[in-house]
Amino acid sequence: MTTVPLRYRVPWKKIVVYVLAVLFALYLVLPFYWIVAMSFMPEADAVSVPPQWIPEHPTLANYLGFVDPSDAQALVGSRAIEETPYSLLNSLVVAASTALLNLVLATFAAYSFSRIRFRGSQLLLVLYLITRMVPGIAIIIPFYLLMREFHLLDTYLALILSYTTFALPITIWILKDFFRSVPRELEDAARVDRCGWFRTMWSVFLPVAAPGLVAAAVFSFMTAWNEFMFALFLTSTRAAKTIPVVAANFATDFNTQYTVMAAAGVLAVLPPLLLALVFQRKLVAGMAAGSVKG
Amino acid sequence: MPRKPWSDNVRAYALNAPAIIVISLLVAYPIGYSFWVSLHRDNLKQPLAKRFIGLDNYLSLFHDDAFLASLRVSALFVLVVLAFTVVLAMTLALVLNETFRGRGLLLSLALLPWAMPGVVNGLMWRTVFDAKTGALNGLLTQLGLVDGYQAWLTSGTGAFFFTAMAQVWNTLPFSVIILLAGLATIPSELYDAAKVDRAGVLRRFGQVTMPWLTHPLLIVLILETMNAFRAFDTIYVLTGGGPGSATTTIALLDVRTVLTYTDFGLGSAYAWVITLITLVVSIGYIALLYRRGNFEV
Repeated sequence: MTTVPLRYRVPWKKIVVYVLAVLFALYLVLPFYWIVAMSFMPEADAVSVPPQWIPEHPTLANYLGFVDPSDAQALVGSRAIEETPYSLLNSLVVAASTALLNLVLATFAAYSFSRIRFRGSQLLLVLYLITRMVPGIAIIIPFYLLMREFHLLDTYLALILSYTTFALPITIWILKDFFRSVPRELEDAARVDRCGWFRTMWSVFLPVAAPGLVAAAVFSFMTAWNEFMFALFLTSTRAAKTIPVVAANFATDFNTQYTVMAAAGVLAVLPPLLLALVFQRKLVAGMAAGSVKG
Repeated sequence: MPRKPWSDNVRAYALNAPAIIVISLLVAYPIGYSFWVSLHRDNLKQPLAKRFIGLDNYLSLFHDDAFLASLRVSALFVLVVLAFTVVLAMTLALVLNETFRGRGLLLSLALLPWAMPGVVNGLMWRTVFDAKTGALNGLLTQLGLVDGYQAWLTSGTGAFFFTAMAQVWNTLPFSVIILLAGLATIPSELYDAAKVDRAGVLRRFGQVTMPWLTHPLLIVLILETMNAFRAFDTIYVLTGGGPGSATTTIALLDVRTVLTYTDFGLGSAYAWVITLITLVVSIGYIALLYRRGNFEV
């Protein structure tokens, strides 16, 4: 009566976990799979009913069309198609420059928070955080007017400057946490060797802090690459249009073929996606550190 | 040689100077200037009518139907997105907190929506929700759940709901990561103790997990509120604000006012309302971080 008989127990918990895991995996992947599949289909297959879940006549035509539009595509005359390669290059230049500029500015600031006790440091950190909360729409009008004044509309510089201000506060927050984990003894040793501050930073401190720098650079690159609203206001031609703007042009153009739009979408998502997968651990740690610390 | 404290201060602010200069030039100044613009009648199409009108742009908001409607849409959008995000993110975080085969893969997959630019998210869901060729129609028809293809985005309610769903997909990973980080801080002894006490799954969740998750959960609520409140990219591409004004959130209305109607004065007033609402929410966020002592420097 007092002993509980040993019996086989259905592992309900395991079953629930696996079922949920599979459902979530499908939820996360299927929509993306659909545009990837479409991007390899001829238009006729993409609009077929029922849908072809696996392309029956796989083709690269949608991607090749960006470099060398076919007669049909040229006839439809979507400007977005010919602008796609330029916009990818623009996005790359803008995002990389943003990441670099951010890193330089944020390294100085973050170092001060990790190594120096100074008056108002908490307030300054909060102020940085508050600027991150400011909605882009609140500054876009004056920013547009300002850039027009300086004849910077439709240039890389306008975009790089605006994205740097978006990404700078979060970059500082990420870096200050990473920098604190760098042992002070390293710098002390360098100082004993009579290295100046810049020498110490360059050859001792920064190499050790490299993982944090990479994470911060990836964050700001992705911020710049994905941004849309400022690019919509500030750019108008292939000279500076970024890929989100061109991708949106596909969506608002009634002549657009879904397959070509899908191909542009896939190209636009590839760089941030690859970065996210390669730097997964660091990004996850950075995202968590930016908002919770347990 | 002991350093004097004031030289530390100087050094620290010198190090922060570049960041402070950039941020004040490109954020603080524009915000102030934006307020100045909002006090004017300033429409590019009527350059001669430009003049100072004080608070008139703001006063006009009270009987501005488009503005009031967009506020309602935004508020409802925030509610719907928040509800779905919290439930889905909590479930996914709890799943990822278990050990099982393929956990690493699922975590990588969870980053996919996060990496996706909002614009691409919008056009992706457009192809999925399409009335004639969409994947959702195809899937539901093949599973026998609907008879015949539906035009998901033509009714106001439908468009609103599916736009919210597209937004949820895009912002889900962020919440999942924050909740997962929160779950990782719960000492496993607590669960062991609860098991010894024969507490069931639900009791363990309510009495062990939840108390530890209040803080991360609040952060998720606040940050996702702000995200959903300023949602723009996905909606712009997916519905453009339509049909009618069913998905015209305040951000969409603002951009249309400025880009299409070139009304910089009124657009700036809209922007200031958005800023003030966001500010209230973010003060809550910062106060919360403070209470938890997250600001020790």
